Amino acid sequence: MEAIVDQTAKVDPMNKVNTELSKENPEAHDLSGLETVGIPFTDTAKMSMRDVNVFYADKQAIFDVSLDIGQNEVLAMIGPSGCGKSTFLRCLNRMNDTIDICSVQGSLKLEGQDIYDPKLDVVPLRARVGMVFQKPNPFPKSIYDNVAYGPRIHGLVNRRTDLDEIVETSLQKAGLWKEVRDRLHSPGTGLSGGQQQRLCIARTIAVSPEVILMDEPCSALDPIATAKIEELIAELSENFTIAIVTHSMQQAARVSHRTAYFHLGKLVEVNETEKVFTNPDHKLTEAYITGRFG
Amino acid sequence: MTPSPKTPNTMDVVNKNLAKRYRKEKMFRFYGIASISFGLLCLLFLFTDIIGKGHSAFFQTYVKLPVVMSADALGITDVNDPHQIAGGNYQGVLKQALRERFPEVTDRRGKRALYGIVSNGAGYELRALVENNPDILNTSLDVWVLADDDIDTYVKSRSSREGAYTGRFTEQQISWIESLIESGNVEERFNTTFFTAGDSREPEQAGIRGAMMGSLFTLLVTLALSFPIGVAAAVYLEEYAKKNKFTDFIEVNINNLAAVPSIIFGLLGLAIFINFFEMPRSIPLVGGFVLTLMTLPTIIISSRAAIKAVPPSIREAAMGIGASKMQVILHHVLPLAMPGMLTGAIIGMAQALGETAPLLMIGMVAFIVDVPSGITDPSTVLPVQIFLWADSPERAFVERTSAAIMVLLGFLVVMNALAVWLRKRLERRW
Amino acid sequence: MDKLNLDQHISRQFNADLEELKTQLLEMGGLVEQQTINAVKAITTPDSDLAERVLVTEEEVDARELKLDENCTLVLARRQPAASDLRMVLSVARITRDLERMGDEAHKVAKMAIHLNEHGEAPRGYVELRHIGTIVHQMVISALDAFARFDVDLAISVAQEDKKVDQEYKSAMRELATYMMEDPRSISRVLNIIWALRALERIGDHAANIAEHVIYLVKGLDVRHQSLQEMERQVKEQ
Repeated sequence: MEAIVDQTAKVDPMNKVNTELSKENPEAHDLSGLETVGIPFTDTAKMSMRDVNVFYADKQAIFDVSLDIGQNEVLAMIGPSGCGKSTFLRCLNRMNDTIDICSVQGSLKLEGQDIYDPKLDVVPLRARVGMVFQKPNPFPKSIYDNVAYGPRIHGLVNRRTDLDEIVETSLQKAGLWKEVRDRLHSPGTGLSGGQQQRLCIARTIAVSPEVILMDEPCSALDPIATAKIEELIAELSENFTIAIVTHSMQQAARVSHRTAYFHLGKLVEVNETEKVFTNPDHKLTEAYITGRFG
Repeated sequence: MTPSPKTPNTMDVVNKNLAKRYRKEKMFRFYGIASISFGLLCLLFLFTDIIGKGHSAFFQTYVKLPVVMSADALGITDVNDPHQIAGGNYQGVLKQALRERFPEVTDRRGKRALYGIVSNGAGYELRALVENNPDILNTSLDVWVLADDDIDTYVKSRSSREGAYTGRFTEQQISWIESLIESGNVEERFNTTFFTAGDSREPEQAGIRGAMMGSLFTLLVTLALSFPIGVAAAVYLEEYAKKNKFTDFIEVNINNLAAVPSIIFGLLGLAIFINFFEMPRSIPLVGGFVLTLMTLPTIIISSRAAIKAVPPSIREAAMGIGASKMQVILHHVLPLAMPGMLTGAIIGMAQALGETAPLLMIGMVAFIVDVPSGITDPSTVLPVQIFLWADSPERAFVERTSAAIMVLLGFLVVMNALAVWLRKRLERRW
Repeated sequence: MDKLNLDQHISRQFNADLEELKTQLLEMGGLVEQQTINAVKAITTPDSDLAERVLVTEEEVDARELKLDENCTLVLARRQPAASDLRMVLSVARITRDLERMGDEAHKVAKMAIHLNEHGEAPRGYVELRHIGTIVHQMVISALDAFARFDVDLAISVAQEDKKVDQEYKSAMRELATYMMEDPRSISRVLNIIWALRALERIGDHAANIAEHVIYLVKGLDVRHQSLQEMERQVKEQ
């Protein structure tokens, strides 16, 4: 597990919070002076974000979020709807670029390189930081073409046999190879929901990204498919750094190493997952994960 | 269910209103059925009228005459000279044959009436016969020749309830025709002329081939211009253009253009292409330009709708693995939007096919006999042809007008069927 | 200590479930506490009827243990509680077990009371028994109070009390051992007292365990198997 670098962030949160927050209604709290508690920083940071602010036109969606994602770590982001966790996730590979009114401030670095550098090309960035979406969204093409699409557009392979190999290993890593090897050329949309999502994961890892962002990858799946994806996330964390946004707190508890709790655009708490789910530092985190508001 | 004190009360009220509710629903359904029936009735009326009037145009009356192919009478001295064969006096031979068939006619007026039995284009048939087989020169043979349109109309209307259409016929002429019919020398054959000939002043020689080719060339130009331009505009507006007042303005204008009367486009085409660029009148190229202007809004609007309908998840998926904007559009958005765009394009083409007004303005209303062979040959188009024929006084043009409408409708049906087929074929589920 | 407001869930049924767990546990605790004091009284008074009552209550305590365990399982299965709720359910389950053990020990003491009544009183040890019994009884009450009020300070004091009980028990042992050496005829009767003392000491241990569970419940700290100083330090630090 990651060593804790910044202990100063832990400024006796309990007392501070307790004086700041009234007991009756956690939602009504004034969050203006809120500081992130727990351990947002690691010394093996793959991505490090500092003082990130995101605006949709005049409306601010993210407030001063500072957070590291460690190498080969699974970081879960949880929080009520509209708390900005998905927005934050989409900043990490600049998917928010497509929204005209969205602007991002602050420092977001992938291995020390500023990903919002105007000179940086977003295409290779997205190859390095892949994304899996909420709804399984395979292309209306064959299974093979779905996985081969990334390597093809990035020109990763020249020979057909190399491409075949990438497709096979990606599908194997995504735990789908055995199920689809006999029908690689049938449409990807013909698979079940869980298989489609694993196909999307295979498609993402086919371009060998360093970081995989997952935006509620299991919200459209049944429990068994969900279990398979969760199993897969655990396996993938050996090779990839994963940031996952989830609405299922149990899922965050099962798959992640660290958990970040967002509330109204602010990062309230980041801690080891065990800590968050047994004894969170912040009252708001506690209230959220125990189902006192949502 | 345990009856609470309130339940029976509520149920009574509900039951009381039930009949009224059912009645209202019945009425509601009836309105729908009534309007659909009205539409169907109108359509049925239109079709019966058109088909009833037009079906006879697909048949043409021919008259059998014993013709003596005398080279002298034809004025041919050298059988091997094609010029001479082409320039022969075939009409004279026919007149001779008519005089021999009805020897009782002697006066000048009677003879002229007699010559009116056959079409004045019938000589060309004889010429074709001779050109194909010069051996028949100086022989005598029975030839089926095209009857005049008045004869055609008379023969076709003989068995109708209103009685035969006699028009300007004299008793004498009617007796000639009756005698020809009695001797089995009058026959109705499938009217190939209608599909192979260009326009003509003589109904029996008039065909829609010229108009069909004109329509085809015009549509080709329209399609080749409006589809790429429309799709490119739609892609730019949907994918690249920033949402600001200027694009809003453009969007409003495109939507307005789609509703502008088509004659305005004709005036525009007249002003720009003919007056300013000094292009020739009456050619499919200019017609295509004008119709392009007219169909562009339709194609842009439908293409934009098709692009909008591509699920954003597919776009995101492609971007998520690092596809560039252009790759996203070319690999994913366009293929998925293609059925919708094609449908829009075909509907636009169908509109263009039926359009008359703008083409009148650029001179495609001219009387053109030759079948056009390219986009720069003067020509007319099907709807204009229909308009021209509908305006002609000859009785036989009435049925031809209806027949041309049938052909036009046939084209429209085929094009719409093509749109449906393409959509089914290209549509993918996601 | 306002961190444990167990009554603000979106699901009111969840509130009720947790409240029910707490109530049931406190009821069971009340029974065990009564058992403890009655068992000691049964020896010191002496009162065989009271001892019999303790034996009967023991069955009730066992039944309540089963019921509480079932309820805890149900809450876990239905609600997948997290954080304070999870700690609440876990603590209730653990405290239930400790209470049941305390009931068992009280049962042993009551048996000794019957034994002593049948085979004659022990010549010595009643003072110690009463003394330790009082301390242990107070510990049980304090531990349950600490749980009811989520009072960490009180819980720590219970753990401190346990040390005192241990010392009292040791000195009582030494004294009774000396006595048995002096008068070997009384060995079997004195042994009964020793068994009873031993059982009371165990009850004290379980009360201390409950205190630890309360600290876990309130602070999220697992302070088992730690020295008292270490425990206090950690609690302060939190």
